[in-house]
Amino acid sequence: MATTNPMGINAEKYKYGFFEPEKYVFKARKGLNAEIVNEISHMKDEPPWMRAFRLHAYDHFTKRPMPKWGADLSTINFDDIYYYIKPTEKQAKSWEELPEEIKRTYDRLGIPEAEKKFLAGVGAQYESEVVYHNLKDEWEKLGVIFLDTDSALKEHPDLFREYFATVVPPEDNKIAALNSAVWSGGSFVYVPAGVRVDIPLQAYFRINAQNMGQFERTLIICEPGSYVHYVEGCTAPVYSSDSLHSAVVEIIVKEGARCRYTTIQNWSTNVYNLVTKRAVAYRDATMEWIDGNLGSKLTMKYPSVYMVEPGAKAEILSVAFAGHGQHQDPGGKVIHAAPHTQSVVVSKSISKDGGRAGYRGLVKIYPGAKGSRSAVRCDALILDDRSRSDTYPTMEIDEEDVSITHEATVSKVSDEQLFYLMSRGVKEDEAMNMIVRGFVEPIVKELPLEYAVELNRLIALEMEGSVG
Amino acid sequence: MVTTLGPAGFTRRAVEVLSEHFTEPVWMRDFRLEAFDAYERLPMPGPPDEEWRRTDLSGFPWDAFDADPEPVGGPAEIPVLPPGVIFSDLRTAVAKHPDLVREHFMRTVVRPDESKFRALHAALWNAGTFLYVPERVEVAVPLRSEAWIGREAAALFPHTLVVAEAGSRVTLIDEFGSYAGGWGAFADGVVELILRDGAQVRYVARQDWMAAVTEIGILRARLSRDSALHSLIVALGGRVVKGNIESLLEGPGATSEMLGLIFGHDGQHFDLHTLQEHRAPHTLSDLLYKNAVKDRARSVFSGMIRVHPGAQKTNAFQANRNLILSDGAKADSIPNLEIMANDLRCTHGSATSRLHEEHLFYLMSRGLRRLDAVRMVVEGFFAELVDRIPLEDVRVRLRGDVDRKMVQ
Repeated sequence: MATTNPMGINAEKYKYGFFEPEKYVFKARKGLNAEIVNEISHMKDEPPWMRAFRLHAYDHFTKRPMPKWGADLSTINFDDIYYYIKPTEKQAKSWEELPEEIKRTYDRLGIPEAEKKFLAGVGAQYESEVVYHNLKDEWEKLGVIFLDTDSALKEHPDLFREYFATVVPPEDNKIAALNSAVWSGGSFVYVPAGVRVDIPLQAYFRINAQNMGQFERTLIICEPGSYVHYVEGCTAPVYSSDSLHSAVVEIIVKEGARCRYTTIQNWSTNVYNLVTKRAVAYRDATMEWIDGNLGSKLTMKYPSVYMVEPGAKAEILSVAFAGHGQHQDPGGKVIHAAPHTQSVVVSKSISKDGGRAGYRGLVKIYPGAKGSRSAVRCDALILDDRSRSDTYPTMEIDEEDVSITHEATVSKVSDEQLFYLMSRGVKEDEAMNMIVRGFVEPIVKELPLEYAVELNRLIALEMEGSVG
Repeated sequence: MVTTLGPAGFTRRAVEVLSEHFTEPVWMRDFRLEAFDAYERLPMPGPPDEEWRRTDLSGFPWDAFDADPEPVGGPAEIPVLPPGVIFSDLRTAVAKHPDLVREHFMRTVVRPDESKFRALHAALWNAGTFLYVPERVEVAVPLRSEAWIGREAAALFPHTLVVAEAGSRVTLIDEFGSYAGGWGAFADGVVELILRDGAQVRYVARQDWMAAVTEIGILRARLSRDSALHSLIVALGGRVVKGNIESLLEGPGATSEMLGLIFGHDGQHFDLHTLQEHRAPHTLSDLLYKNAVKDRARSVFSGMIRVHPGAQKTNAFQANRNLILSDGAKADSIPNLEIMANDLRCTHGSATSRLHEEHLFYLMSRGLRRLDAVRMVVEGFFAELVDRIPLEDVRVRLRGDVDRKMVQ
């Protein structure tokens, strides 16, 4: 059923189920062993320490058992995945240099147009390597570095090595170990002290080859007093067999700095999306995660903030939408390891057509984190009687002088709400759409304009056929 | 008097000797032995299991205890009862009402093969109370039962079985404690509550073990159509306490109020898991657990609301409030929801805070000593819960308990 929402967007035209034929420069074999890890490092012409790091991580990956909690991961076949594909010989410097088929894909996502208007830079990930980068001159003058992670390793080796894997070590969890062994692409952002990057830095990611894993690695360093907003969005064409996306994102927010990281995730519904995202916030720093999860077969992602010095703040806003066959298991972790730290977590989840969405989180207050405050709020909307909502918050409080609250509600779209809107002449499907948009509004309003539009479009698309 | 039947430890021989000592019918002896097989077969739960992440019993000296063959347990007093009501200790009930006991005891509510500790309880239960209320019979006076740890190294396996037939009403107040002495002892209890259509049961369990007791236990209730359960769990004593409190709402219109008062001091550890399981439409559960911890005590509240497909028009509420009174005390709160129906109202909330200096200052500016001001704030913290108990003597008792814990 085609739906035209109040913004005049025909949702029928906005299907992302297109894909381009594969054309690759190098394609590794499926599966993983130490030899392939070596080969990846060789292909990338990496320094020996990175090769040793990858091999160590691979070793840990093989030894570490699969996690038993949470969603069912037993159906992932790690031997049936490509761990590295290089899409073009060399990095394109401008949009015109990009291969035609890649440009076509991006045209359909509206990126160049968006870029003209808003964007500071586009790090577009087509397959496993960033193929296109553009950074406005003014940021370069300020000393801001915005590169794909592979280039950063080559161009800023000392800076890279100082921070890489300090927030998420390869031993952190099995999936992070896998990423550490085979990582490729992602973004590297360095913001010097006192610099404010006013326009969001954006990166688009796509998966385009069957059975292909994406293991990008993002590292953001905010020097004291700086500010940056990094935005990543994902859309992926639909394929028939399962693929895996496993990213690691590390963020260091130094004294008085503020970092906001926004994700709109819309992987196709065959993708396992297992992501480790973590930030360390120092004195009076602020870290904000805004996380929208619409696509994927299964998402397990718990952006976390370690508040390690007094006055640090954390904010996590999360939206999850689970339709047929989808399991969204997002959440967040806030670790209060210093006095007078504050955190706010807001989660909104929607499930329909047998989908399962929820929230899994941790609030941890260490002894001595006096005067810390944490508030967690989880709301769930269940649109039919086949769908499911889960809330698994955990609060570990080892300090007396704190204030911790958690609230959650689960509800449906009430007949009264629908009746009210319909009595105003709104059609039922539109009314449903409006109610759902109202439900996620507190989070959507935190997004940059074009992402807010896109999220609303995607929700409208997901809501198709939910009435009648 | 110290009674033992043989060497300490939980062995098949100990099961046989205990059954013989109780001169039990063959079916109960066979039941015990089968349960002991399950005990030997089942794995010891430990921190890799999600439910046992926060209570680690590895290194617990299981061989140091033996099932006390003569513990004090059963009704504390037997008032005049309406005809047909059975209120007796469980051993007597096994002899006098074998059919009734056999039909319900660890068959339909809690089963021996669920876990190692349920199996151990089934094999070695040694104290308990049986309460049977026939259809449409109302027991006006609150009934009281008890179970006591009477000596060092005793293992107490108290069992409370309540069958409330359709339309009946009854109140049972269950007391658990140890006679004077900081004995090392072990308790593994099971409470089974069966509420038939329209039955109304109020159940209070107050636990005040002496210091060195390790307790593992479960209270599970099955609620049929339009039945109503009001439960209150009071946990004050013991060193390590791990408990499950579960309401299974299986008939439309069933309601369950679940209250909990936990107060830990010194190095006490309380780990309580609650379950509000809605399996039928139009059911209501309302849970409020209040935990206060001081010194180095730790409390864990882990709650689950699970609403099954088809359990529409459900109302489920879960609230956990924690008060941390000292540096070094800990309170964990894990209020979970698993919702598989859409037409319902479900909320949960958790709040953890300290004593507010402003509140104390206000009271002290009115001339109260600091100690009394603190006591008053803590009483206020529990008052919301205590005021929901319509039994005056229980309320008085709880206020006394809270006062005593304040200075312990």
